Amino acid sequence: MLQCIFLLSESGEVMVEKQMTGHRVDRSICAWFWDHLLSLSLSQPEGGHIAQISQVLTSPTHYLFQVYRHGIIFLACTQVELPPLMPIEFLSRLADILSDYLGALNEDIIKDNFVIVYQILDEMMDNGFPLTTEPNVLKEMVTPPNIVSKVFTAVTGKASPAVGPTLPEAAASCVPWRTTHPKNTTNEVYVNLVEHLHACVNREGNLRRCQVYGEIQVNSSLPGFPDLTLSFANPSLLDDVRFHPCVRFRPWESSQFLSFVPPDGQFKLMSYRVKGLKKIPIYLKPQLTSDSGNCRISALLGVKNDPGKTIDSIMVQFQLPPGITSADLTSNHGTVDILADKTCRWSIGQIPKDKLPCLSGNLVLEPGMERLHVAPTFQVKFKIMGVALSGLQIDKLEVKTAAANPYKGFRAQTQAGDYEFRS
Amino acid sequence: MAPPVSATKSPSPSQPSGKSEVSDLKLQLRQLAGSRAPGADDAKRDLFKRVISCMTVGIDVSPAFSEMVMCSATSDVVLKKMCYLYVGNYARGNPDLALLTINFLQRDCHDQDPTIRGLALRSLCSLRVQNLVEYLVAPLVAGLKDHSSYVRTVAAIGVLKLYHISATTCHDSDFPAALKALMLSDPDAQVVANCLYSLLEIWTQEAGNSEEAAREIETLYGKPVIYYLLNRIRDFSEWAQCLLLDLVSKYIPADNNEIFDMMNLLEDRLQHANGAVVLATIKVFLHVTMSMTDVHQQVYERIKAPLLTLVGAGSPEQSYAVLCHLHILVMRAPMLFSSDYKHFYCQFSDPSYVKKLKLEMLTAIANESNTYEIVTELCEYAGNVDVPIARESIRAVGKIALQQYDVNAIVDRLLQFLEMEKDYVTAETLVLVKDLLRKYPQWSHDCIAVVGNISSNSIQEPKAKAALIWMLGEYSQDMMDAPYVLESLVENWEEEHSPEVRLHLLTAVMKCFFKRAPETQKALGAALSAGLADSHQDVHDRALFYYRLLQYDVAVAERVVNPPKQAVSVFADTQSSEIKDRIFDEFNSLSIVYQKPSYMFTDKEHRGPFEFAEDLSNLAIGGDSGDDAIRSAQRYQENDKDLLLSTSDKEENGGPTRNGSNSSTYSAPSDINSSLSALAPSSTAQTATFAIDDLLGLGVPDAPVLTLPPSLILNSKPVLDPGTFQKKWGQLTVSSSQESTLSIQGVASLTAPQSLIRHMQNNSIQCIASGGHPPNYKFFFFAQKEGSSSFFLVECIVNTASAKAQIKIKSDDASASDAFASLFQSALSNFGSL
Repeated sequence: MLQCIFLLSESGEVMVEKQMTGHRVDRSICAWFWDHLLSLSLSQPEGGHIAQISQVLTSPTHYLFQVYRHGIIFLACTQVELPPLMPIEFLSRLADILSDYLGALNEDIIKDNFVIVYQILDEMMDNGFPLTTEPNVLKEMVTPPNIVSKVFTAVTGKASPAVGPTLPEAAASCVPWRTTHPKNTTNEVYVNLVEHLHACVNREGNLRRCQVYGEIQVNSSLPGFPDLTLSFANPSLLDDVRFHPCVRFRPWESSQFLSFVPPDGQFKLMSYRVKGLKKIPIYLKPQLTSDSGNCRISALLGVKNDPGKTIDSIMVQFQLPPGITSADLTSNHGTVDILADKTCRWSIGQIPKDKLPCLSGNLVLEPGMERLHVAPTFQVKFKIMGVALSGLQIDKLEVKTAAANPYKGFRAQTQAGDYEFRS
Repeated sequence: MAPPVSATKSPSPSQPSGKSEVSDLKLQLRQLAGSRAPGADDAKRDLFKRVISCMTVGIDVSPAFSEMVMCSATSDVVLKKMCYLYVGNYARGNPDLALLTINFLQRDCHDQDPTIRGLALRSLCSLRVQNLVEYLVAPLVAGLKDHSSYVRTVAAIGVLKLYHISATTCHDSDFPAALKALMLSDPDAQVVANCLYSLLEIWTQEAGNSEEAAREIETLYGKPVIYYLLNRIRDFSEWAQCLLLDLVSKYIPADNNEIFDMMNLLEDRLQHANGAVVLATIKVFLHVTMSMTDVHQQVYERIKAPLLTLVGAGSPEQSYAVLCHLHILVMRAPMLFSSDYKHFYCQFSDPSYVKKLKLEMLTAIANESNTYEIVTELCEYAGNVDVPIARESIRAVGKIALQQYDVNAIVDRLLQFLEMEKDYVTAETLVLVKDLLRKYPQWSHDCIAVVGNISSNSIQEPKAKAALIWMLGEYSQDMMDAPYVLESLVENWEEEHSPEVRLHLLTAVMKCFFKRAPETQKALGAALSAGLADSHQDVHDRALFYYRLLQYDVAVAERVVNPPKQAVSVFADTQSSEIKDRIFDEFNSLSIVYQKPSYMFTDKEHRGPFEFAEDLSNLAIGGDSGDDAIRSAQRYQENDKDLLLSTSDKEENGGPTRNGSNSSTYSAPSDINSSLSALAPSSTAQTATFAIDDLLGLGVPDAPVLTLPPSLILNSKPVLDPGTFQKKWGQLTVSSSQESTLSIQGVASLTAPQSLIRHMQNNSIQCIASGGHPPNYKFFFFAQKEGSSSFFLVECIVNTASAKAQIKIKSDDASASDAFASLFQSALSNFGSL
């Protein structure tokens, strides 16, 4: 199983080292990891950023699994064969839990709270085998550094008890993700539909690919042992689904609704894939014409199949192709920035009513280059609040609980995932 | 007060502040130890935090061990946890002091609070000190019977930890049997899972030596246990489910009903949020249906959707691992995925390694219905920013063409690539057009028309050039200017660096000669004489062979060189199907990610670099095996004398025979040349003899002169015993770390470590340990500065395959280490040249 977990900062510092088994993993493995990364960045034209390097590496001594989140590298070492997804899933889970615990995830936060990180790691894994990974249960074993405890400390001058006086009851309950007596319940439940739209349009403007991945996030704060039923108006849209362990499988199989006892707090109830979407909300028409060392560039952006809600936070981004000495780009709406890594970013925000946003400009090529050899790919980002583009609709949510009339809130949102236009 | 045993172990010099900080911490801890004043816990907490943060940074805070233990009497849980963490980290290095902690840990094992009991038990088992094993047994026995399931889960893993420290103690106390009983009766699923985990590891390790353990393993894989566990699978945590599913995948169901029962039970696991569970389930499904072809097929259909979702929805890390698994399934049953091709389209933001996998899958699933779409997509990648991917996608187009779908359109596409006028696109396309022509000679007219327009000067890559030359030779009757293009290529023979291209050029000129003799005669003569003079053995031999063939009979030569060819029906696959099956059997393991069966990266003979792992740890940690390595090095040195003789013998024997063979070879050209002139009017005698001189002279390059930097003179007979070396190596920091390149001759002579050891000895650098197998060797060297006591220690890892050496130098005298580094490098680069 896993023998050691390191948390590294982007500058190479070891922030946390947790040895799991009797076999001690020497820290020099991190040096090997960085050397490997460095040699990759030298050999690859696009640079060996951490995101570019393979998730499973073989060092001379260990297999390394790495997951990269918010400037932190989670590195797990082992010497035995094991299912590759297990450490990767575990590290991802660790990252999620830490970010949940500490509010956010970055280098400074980890350094400030390393005692908490050690405590969490200790409960999450014993001898290299995952132990408790349910956030709710963990929170009762290791108190998160929340405002309450900070206030408590400030007022009483004493540190709040880090651990409840008794063991978390969930550890013994038959529903491991839920404590039997959650505190501070406000008797409300929120359901949030978040969809990511992936699309690819080619030079001729044909839609090459369009997929929607979505997830249902639930934030539940219900007393007692509530039993929830969530049904959809059009479940036949769903191509494939994945469930949180709390979802009962049989009702879904037989009549396509979700029946579950929710954990307390925020969790991902279900993720799904929708098939056969043919409409995209935003189009971009890039045009590049190059001759005698210059390249004229223009890109026009517009709404295609109006989703009925405002499209927000629109941004277009593309990598300047190699061999360009200078670029002069302007737009009739929004701002254009060229970043240090030769990424051009055109922030639009919302589409104005009176005109279509248009980016235009001129790229000067290196002397000796007649025309552009590679055409850039334009990536578009946007956000649409209040609508799930796949058309999936929640029919109703029934709550069977001890307390009467819980408050139920619903939201939907669509974001651009890999939404790209080739030129 | 226990003396600070480890005070002599100074913290590493890179952290100069470490030592004072540690002593400062010690002092403060000591002051707090007995304090019961209010606020003492807070002060302790801060101090402990500082200690732990020092530990994390890498400062050795073990000197404060006894103080930490004194401070550990507290009721504050966070303090306890920090203390346990500290103790767990340093107990192994301080077995005597670890005894001090036993007392408070044992006390905590009887605490009211199950959390504390569990924590204490876990820490107690994590001390991993051999002579404290006796103190573990009683708390473990109690822990396994504890009424809190949390403590029982900890105890179940604790047994495994005990087993790793002392297997006999574990068996004497009959823990495996207790675990088994617990596993089959405990109401808590996590306890059951941990018992299973421990038992699996204990018995698997013993299965080789003990029949009893082998029997126990059998029962674990037996029907009653598997059924018992399967029925509880929904209670298990996701990780425990993975473990259980892995166990189930090794179970062989008795009949088909059982198989269907299992699959029905596990089907909902495919919908689990955790990718690891999904893959483990898929593995079970694939394995149990292996013998039922039609059901196996259905399983593919069933698992397709979850896999595709996992690829698209997960984080990049997860999606890559899943993609690798999908890859192997696609390769096994491409037809089943042919309608899902859009999922394998590359995204701009995909890393290259993901794109590469996707391209392979697109290639595999192409069939009549989707070829057009796939090839259109692939063609769009040809203009991609990422040049390696652009190349891959062109190759993919070619491979699809070779699969016989819609060849007509693809040939058009390929020919369009040639018009893009990008060097790498042209190069890749030429290679493909060549392969296509080998399979579909009927397309030659279309292709030749386009290929004929390509100027051979614009192509630099050897493979592409060779392909173009092959086509020139093969289709010289259709290409008007083929003989003249070839002739100009022959004229530039000297500038052609790649032997592959020269070989192809020879053959192409020959083929052209058979078809258009008058026009090619001149070029052939020039090519043969240039070939004979070539320094590359293969080129030389082929030229000679052609020449003699021509001399013997031109008709025979034509039959040999340019026989009528049959179109190639299938190109050989790089990976044998046996290996592919093997990888498939290891589904849901690292084998899939590496695309190699596990024996290729776990077995000794297949894993060169892994040898060093053990080497390194031996030397770093010390211990008996480390001494072995050093002893063997000394043995090597004793053997050196014999070796010296044998190599010099070889040299003497080798010299004349080589000369002999040379002369016998070269006796031929002198009379060939005269007869060659019948074919090739221009006399080549002059160049040929010149070439012979050159060739004979070539083997002996000027020996580089060994230059020693005057600033540093090494003691020619330094003495350093292995123990001191290990100590010094552990203490000193790396003062210089470099990579050096070995000469070709050096690599050639490095067939065994001894040769380099001897060479370095001549440069006053002594070897203390060495090891490794080709292509990787590892050496530890040392040297001493003349008239001084400072030593230089070197770790040198040589890879003969890449002719690179990694050098790490540690030195007592840091100021001289640069001078020594350059000396060492020059000595290393001279290796083999003498």
